[in-house]
Amino acid sequence: MVSDSSWLRDLGLAWLVARAILLSLLGILLLIAFIVFRRWSRGCYFNRLSRRTMALRGQWPDILSGKIPGSAWRLNRFDCRIVEDILLDSIEISGEEELPRLLACLRQSGLLDFRIREARSADGWQRRSALLALGRTRAPEAVPALVEALESPAAETVVAAVRGLGRIASPQAAVSLLDLYVSEQLHVPEHTLKNALLNCCRRSPAVLVPYLNSATGKARELIARVLGELANPSLGEDLLTLAADPLPEVRASAARALAKVQPEVSFPVLSILALDAEWFVRLRAVIALSTIEHRGKIYVLLRALCDLNRHVRQRAAWALARLQHGKEEILEKVVATRDNYALQAFLSELERDDSLDKALEGLGKVVNRAAAGSDVENVAAAVRKHFAAPGAVAAAMNEDLVESGAAPPRDYALQYYLPGLEQRGSLDAALSGRGNTVARVPGATTVEDTAAAVKKYFAGLDKAADRPEEPR
Amino acid sequence: MVRFLQISNDTLFVYYLISNLISLLLLIVAIYKNTHHRYRLASVRMENLASPFSPPISLLVPAHNEELGIVANVNSLLRLDYPQLEVVVVNDGSNDRTLERLQESFGLHRAPIVYVAEIGTAPVTAIYRSAAHPRLLVLDKESAGSKADAINAGINAATSPYVCVVDADSILEKDSLSRIMAGVMSDPQRVIAVGGIVRILNGSTVESAELREVHLPSSHIEMLQVIEYLRAFLVGREAWAGFNLLPIISGAFGIFRRDLLLQVQGFRAAAVGEDFDLIIRLHRYLLDHDTPYHINFIPDPTCWTEAPSDYKSLARQRARWHKGLMDTLWSTRDMLFRKRYGRVGSLILPYMWLFECLAPLLEIVGYSTIILAACLGCLSHQFFVEFLLFGYVFATLISVGSVLLEELNYRRYTRWRDVAWLLVYCLFEHLPYRQLTMIWRLRGMWEYLRGDVRWHELKRTGVSASASC
Repeated sequence: MVSDSSWLRDLGLAWLVARAILLSLLGILLLIAFIVFRRWSRGCYFNRLSRRTMALRGQWPDILSGKIPGSAWRLNRFDCRIVEDILLDSIEISGEEELPRLLACLRQSGLLDFRIREARSADGWQRRSALLALGRTRAPEAVPALVEALESPAAETVVAAVRGLGRIASPQAAVSLLDLYVSEQLHVPEHTLKNALLNCCRRSPAVLVPYLNSATGKARELIARVLGELANPSLGEDLLTLAADPLPEVRASAARALAKVQPEVSFPVLSILALDAEWFVRLRAVIALSTIEHRGKIYVLLRALCDLNRHVRQRAAWALARLQHGKEEILEKVVATRDNYALQAFLSELERDDSLDKALEGLGKVVNRAAAGSDVENVAAAVRKHFAAPGAVAAAMNEDLVESGAAPPRDYALQYYLPGLEQRGSLDAALSGRGNTVARVPGATTVEDTAAAVKKYFAGLDKAADRPEEPR
Repeated sequence: MVRFLQISNDTLFVYYLISNLISLLLLIVAIYKNTHHRYRLASVRMENLASPFSPPISLLVPAHNEELGIVANVNSLLRLDYPQLEVVVVNDGSNDRTLERLQESFGLHRAPIVYVAEIGTAPVTAIYRSAAHPRLLVLDKESAGSKADAINAGINAATSPYVCVVDADSILEKDSLSRIMAGVMSDPQRVIAVGGIVRILNGSTVESAELREVHLPSSHIEMLQVIEYLRAFLVGREAWAGFNLLPIISGAFGIFRRDLLLQVQGFRAAAVGEDFDLIIRLHRYLLDHDTPYHINFIPDPTCWTEAPSDYKSLARQRARWHKGLMDTLWSTRDMLFRKRYGRVGSLILPYMWLFECLAPLLEIVGYSTIILAACLGCLSHQFFVEFLLFGYVFATLISVGSVLLEELNYRRYTRWRDVAWLLVYCLFEHLPYRQLTMIWRLRGMWEYLRGDVRWHELKRTGVSASASC
């Protein structure tokens, strides 16, 4: 390509190019040879592996019981790896009864000590592999070696240690993680840490509570989120305090957790969280309300059906449409809200639940479904027309239902919740946020007065607030 | 004249040399990155990626005249292993029975969902939800003649913090979302978009839009595209992502932070290559706002897609890709060599101009001047042959390198025969396939300069939905 007299030619480039061609050709041949060799060697390796695995599996009861001593396979690197893999796989799926036997084999054979030593002394990927293997052992004595690795300067090693501790799944591992995290000495991706804590605290979520109380900011949000997944009825009172947290993420986690405690405890707090200033807290509260059994939740869900946020509205409609009884009465109440978006969302959810026809029949076939067609807007118009008849909306304000919905919240729940709000200076905001919550009673200066006002609010929950703006 | 030919030939020599050296550098970086990623996978697998903490994802599926495979493909997407998933199908003014097929199969009914067009799109005429699949949302919109407009409608309707754009005729592997999200969750503050690998489906066995067996296609043109995709993804994208200079995330499979897409007003509807355009605009936006970010590429989450199987369709596709490239580079020309845009403005964009956009033109000029110089007798025949041979052998080395990466880390083609064919076709990628694509790209360049930016529809056989292909 280059001309005879060019400066490039003067540099002896033809010679250089010829060498480059040869080098490239050599490179291609080497790469092809490597690909072929690797494929062949992998094939041989896996053939050998499966043959040896079959043989060792045949001797498995003897290996496990120690009849075949560890020294018989420990010194053979290939066999040792197979036995370790089988052991770790077995531990992963084993129950509490089988685990001690497997761990005993791991200890007596010296495999556990070997991995602990490797996790402390090796470097790079070898160390990370050892940490992950240690995690899979679920052995308590592996925790210190894993915790030591949390102080490694290599970020990948720290992540491997956190994943290993997550696999150990013991509260002891959780405490080590939380100690470092709360004191801001642990820097790993949040997702990894949350997964590890979720595994470690599954059986005893109460481990998280003291750390949650002392944590602030992001750490508080993260711990609350994990607690939200793991909550159980015994955590009821701790969760009530969380519901008054100034951090919205924490309140959302509290709402999530409250779905798992007794309805008489959770309902009053969820009712207030369903009026939170943050839409995702309201959404979480509505989702939690949809899972608990409480007669009064209908009214909170009806209010949520008129929420400014479409996700909250849709979820409330979903929850209302899936209530087993009283759909006709709920339909009447939805119409009484005079909120077209709410009515359409509810009718749409009824249709998805295959219960729209039944609900309309319950109204005495006053709505001609065939005439309305499949379009929800037409059905909504027909339903509105029906309820526009004199006296129909008044019937929707059925006094019995109102009273059942206003079942007084448990006093102690309010006593925990409201002081928490007051203490954090967010009581007024919670009561008056977005114009659709309880106005603080004039002259109410004590928490008890406010509690009385809240009770009164629940009694008059059907007084729907006007929509201040177009919903999203 | 002779002097001109000498200068031209010398310039082209330097051009090819630099191009090959960059390819070699990219291959070395890709081998390092792929090996590193393989080690990391062992650690990542220890974590439950599909945990309750995994952020919700909205899968956006723009569909235009996809009646052949839309039902099977949506079913396959609804079966993906991911805890919080929403599938948003956007029927982009289809003239066939795409919407009817969806309505019949999923029991769709109109939902009173308020659609807020945060990004301007052609009107959305109806929104449907499914009684059987609460996670499915179908938007029926008027066509604006671009896929970007349909994706933007999906972004508006999506409810998740992350959106994943998938072609309606592509197949995602079951755990591909969990795997691609591992790339986000490693650093959710910085990682704003992640691309996965796109592989060619032709030749593989597919049942009900699920991949059963991976095989190589039988036709030459499809085989060459397999090699081309391996090289582009496993070498090019992997290496550029290592420098945080990824210029493109394939429109067939990529995940993005929704809030950022809203801030940059989504995909540019007028763009010819909307995927390339979006990534460059994201680079620009984040650099303008001094926001630390990373646009990542993860090579193991896989999307299988149907490649053109005839020369005419392939020619159209390549012409369109080149028009898209020119369109985006021209619209972002003000970023070139500006200090504010750092390595993006001084490295990747000049590279794209010089070694991608102008490559077909320079190659054709090169071939012409060489022939002319040979005719005028001012060319060393020996050197001419040597240099062409070097270009060919070196480029083949890079292609074989991409097969090596595939073999080292991913091994999707398990049969000896498949690997042997891959290696054989590496020999043909740079002669004559490269010259063919050069002509198609030149055609794209010519059409773009003439102002023809129409989107020619590709001929599809619907392999992703077929029982076996």
